[in-house]
Amino acid sequence: MLEIFKLVFFNYKFFTLSVIIFSSMMVTLLLISEFIFLEPYFVTHIPPGSELGFILIVVLSTLSALVIPMNVFRISHFKNSKQKISGSIFGSIIGSAAGACSCGPIGFAVISTFGSVGATTTAFLTNYEIPIRIFAILILFITYFTTIKSLKTECKVSF
Amino acid sequence: MNKKGPILGIAIISIIIGIAVSVSSSDESFDVDMTQTHGSISTSLGSPILGNPNAPITIVEFGDYQCHQCYNWFHNTKPMIIRDYIDTGKANLIFVDFAFLGKDSPKASQATYCADDQNMYWEYHNSLYNSQESKIDSGWANSERLKAFAFNLNLDMELFNECLDSEKYSKRVQYNSQQARDNGVRGTPGFFIVDSDFNQKQISGAQPFSVFKKILDSMI
Repeated sequence: MLEIFKLVFFNYKFFTLSVIIFSSMMVTLLLISEFIFLEPYFVTHIPPGSELGFILIVVLSTLSALVIPMNVFRISHFKNSKQKISGSIFGSIIGSAAGACSCGPIGFAVISTFGSVGATTTAFLTNYEIPIRIFAILILFITYFTTIKSLKTECKVSF
Repeated sequence: MNKKGPILGIAIISIIIGIAVSVSSSDESFDVDMTQTHGSISTSLGSPILGNPNAPITIVEFGDYQCHQCYNWFHNTKPMIIRDYIDTGKANLIFVDFAFLGKDSPKASQATYCADDQNMYWEYHNSLYNSQESKIDSGWANSERLKAFAFNLNLDMELFNECLDSEKYSKRVQYNSQQARDNGVRGTPGFFIVDSDFNQKQISGAQPFSVFKKILDSMI
């Protein structure tokens, strides 16, 4: 596993991609979930009872930053199936969408634009935020292990 | 003389009917000062003022009773604002409904004004935020539960039920939600801090006490 890590992330391009994915996802989700505020002052805080939500965002961002570059590496080097990268992107997107709506500006925009359909979608994504994020993490974990397995085979790395 | 009799009779009956109609419709009216504004916000149909009405600073909160971030602010930040600014007379607070999250949100807002008819607005408001459940439209704020909250506060249930079932304050809640939109509020909770010179600062989201303290101290 360490050899696979070295192979992918010692490459400057894939390491940069990983950092970009992690930081952009993390900051966006923390902003949307109101763990970070930029206006009127920059401030961070974790309200009591929101610790699990914060941990899930960190796990989701970390897994996305690992799985997506590994799959991009696979595709660019082996011109292989794109199935796994779609799994990783799907996992990242649904994990990000969960709880993104809620009562913040995104939820307000969705409800204002789509009316009752938007309100139902927002309510669903808010009500099941934690289970949806756990489901997304599960998808990313599965994709992570299958990607490692594929890379081991494709690179013929011996341990 | 004979011709004037029926005309006079009709006129008297019309006056009596007019008075009766105005008296019956006044049952559904409420005393408000429609000119009350704080900065750019018309707060005339918002909550009663919490704290000293003559305080130099007013915090206007736009909120939805089903919003979890409003719940967070209510439990984590508001107690410190009440302790340091409202109880000390430095600021007061007005809650203005921005009921957009689900079908039970407008009803919950209407219920607070039904409680206000019995001078129990803030008790009922607190009761809603203390009883909020994490799921939107899960039934925790449906009509039956709203009536149960009123019952727990020992409100006159006949008056409360009549008020809630007739949707007496439906337009009031709509007006308040429109105030939020007109003032550029794009989510809940949203705050405007307004001083006596009508300078106002906006805070979006359930921000921590430190942010409010910094702004309030700079305006006092």
